[in-house]
Amino acid sequence: MLFWLVLAVSAVLAWRRLLHGYAPPPRPLARLAPREAAFLAAAAAATFPSGGAVARASGDAGIVLYVDRWLGSLPAQPRRLMRLLFAVMEQATLVFPAPGRGGRRRFSALSPTQRVAALDGWARSSLAPRRLIFASLRAIVTMGYFGDPAVMRQLRLAPLAVDTPVCEADLLWPPIGRPSSAIRWRPENLSPPSSGQPLDGDGPLHPAYAEERR
Amino acid sequence: MNAAGAVRVFADYDRDFREEAEVVVVGSGPGGAVVACELARAGRRVLLLEEGPPFTPEDFVLDGALSMARTMREGGLRATRGTVMPTMQAICLGGGSLVNSAICVRAPDFVLDRWCRDAELERTRRTDLDSHYDAVAEFLGIAPTPESVQGARNLLFKRGCDALGWSSEPIARNVRGCRGSGECFTGCRSRAKQSMDLSYVPAAIRAGARVLTSAQVREVRVEAGRATGVTGRVVEPLSGRAGFGFEVRAKQVVLAAGCMATPVLLQRSGGLANASGQVGENLQFHPGAAILGVFPEPTNPRFGATQGWQSLEFVRDGFKLETLWAPPGVFAVRLPGFGPDLERRLAEIPHCAVWDAIVSTDRSLGTVRARRGTLEPALRWHFHPDDVATLQQALWALARCFFAAGACKIVPGVHGLPDEMHSLAEADVLRSAPLRAADLVTASTHVFSTTRMHGDPRRGVVDELGACHDVDGLWIADTGVFPRSPGVNPMFTLMALAHRTAGAIAARL
Repeated sequence: MLFWLVLAVSAVLAWRRLLHGYAPPPRPLARLAPREAAFLAAAAAATFPSGGAVARASGDAGIVLYVDRWLGSLPAQPRRLMRLLFAVMEQATLVFPAPGRGGRRRFSALSPTQRVAALDGWARSSLAPRRLIFASLRAIVTMGYFGDPAVMRQLRLAPLAVDTPVCEADLLWPPIGRPSSAIRWRPENLSPPSSGQPLDGDGPLHPAYAEERR
Repeated sequence: MNAAGAVRVFADYDRDFREEAEVVVVGSGPGGAVVACELARAGRRVLLLEEGPPFTPEDFVLDGALSMARTMREGGLRATRGTVMPTMQAICLGGGSLVNSAICVRAPDFVLDRWCRDAELERTRRTDLDSHYDAVAEFLGIAPTPESVQGARNLLFKRGCDALGWSSEPIARNVRGCRGSGECFTGCRSRAKQSMDLSYVPAAIRAGARVLTSAQVREVRVEAGRATGVTGRVVEPLSGRAGFGFEVRAKQVVLAAGCMATPVLLQRSGGLANASGQVGENLQFHPGAAILGVFPEPTNPRFGATQGWQSLEFVRDGFKLETLWAPPGVFAVRLPGFGPDLERRLAEIPHCAVWDAIVSTDRSLGTVRARRGTLEPALRWHFHPDDVATLQQALWALARCFFAAGACKIVPGVHGLPDEMHSLAEADVLRSAPLRAADLVTASTHVFSTTRMHGDPRRGVVDELGACHDVDGLWIADTGVFPRSPGVNPMFTLMALAHRTAGAIAARL
């Protein structure tokens, strides 16, 4: 009887720890569960807080949406590994608590100061696997940050507009997912090859990175 | 058949099918594309199989992570076990050439002499290979990167080398008409890079070759000790979902699936060509590490060739120095810290340059093994302490170069050392600190030797022309045949060897 009671209490506690109390994300997500979105939003906010040298906070940069899209483009096994990484870091405060009161709460439930301290513990750990896990998370969040055209523009890294010549290969195969009958170019469409004219570093940006007109 | 009909893409397949050819080539990267083209131009009936799709400019994605998820196997997240190190293999028509920086360097004489001595080869010295290098160079228009598209971050490297009295040079690349967009890793929108899908593959088609994309080879067929063809499945681009089956019968089978895939294919084909026991052994990399330097003046890093300048000063010491650029989200991953510190470093990117070192690691070996239920390999590799020491020397050399070029600080990205170093004196710890492999952030896309050539059939998988010792009619044309590290970027040497292999196959048909 006692065994079953302990088991039931443990199950309830595990459920509360792992799944309970996550608010639905503000925008629908294709891949990320609410708990994963909450963790990523918290990790992104600690990595790219507002008021820093780059005037774009993590929430505005759409990092959670980016990671959701990126996960959708991964094969199944790496996708599972990424989700495992999110789960491990969200729950690892049980083993590596953040300083202060309530430091064993889930990462996403920690205060902003505690989150920074928790991440610092991962980044500077003497355990190489722990540093590797942190580096993986930070890589994902950083790539999401740079997925924001506004960040790229501010850092003067947004890709420039480039004229793309039509070449022989364009007559041979269609874009991905289309049949060969969808090849739209004909020999008369071939254009001169790249001139080698250096791009103007201050020239117009790629349309996907250009500032929206108001 | 018109040229357009010579290529089949995923949407063109509507049933299981069989094909016949004189030569079937598995893999369209720099090895397979050269073999297919040269044999087609010699009048042979060639079928080129590629598991990935062809990419058009409208398929390119400029964001680094999203691009890698589309063009790389395992979403670009492949890593070795043992010493954990990211590595990559492309899955697209043209293979790695679509997403590399087009560096073409001939293997140094002393490297090839050592290959000949250690692997009992007779015809693989520079004088033997130069005619093959020349043929490839002429076809692809390989030439030094022009100064007009170097950009500041490449030219600062030259300044550093000059100040130190080190030899350096513009990197020769298979590029015609570079405009300096720095986008080699996500696909060249200018169509200037002569990747295989824009060069050798179309030329092969013009000469009569046929190309099947989305064709995943799963087994090599052998009858009475002779290769007779391959079997496989059609796979959907990007998702990898398997569809129709196919069989190709051919007199000669060329495996050019890549150094990490060809051994798996042989292992899954019943342990083929492995009397020597060397299939999947001797896995070697060029581990690379980069340092970011910040300069007082703006470097406008988005402009300039991806990798435009190099120094071969230390190749005999086991490392090569070169400039590097990548999609910003990818290289920013190397910056230490988070929060305000990280944002401050990001804000310095318009003043930064990134230079890297690749290391020949002859003592760091590993294995490639097939895994159950997938064609992706299990990679195990260990970074030998002596090779770690060589990489440490290389990092010290990069630090010297940065400060000689006028950098105001460097960000070495080494665990246990300061995040930033503001002078050569501060950077001295790069030379003196006892570093372990786990302290370094390394990656490698240069992979070799898993089906190595050797003059002695008991010690190697193929002979020096690429023919398997054990199986008639079976050839290998990827970097797996390298006896050991080439000391420099491998693509040009691979293409030269593949050019020679094509001639040998033509002679046997």
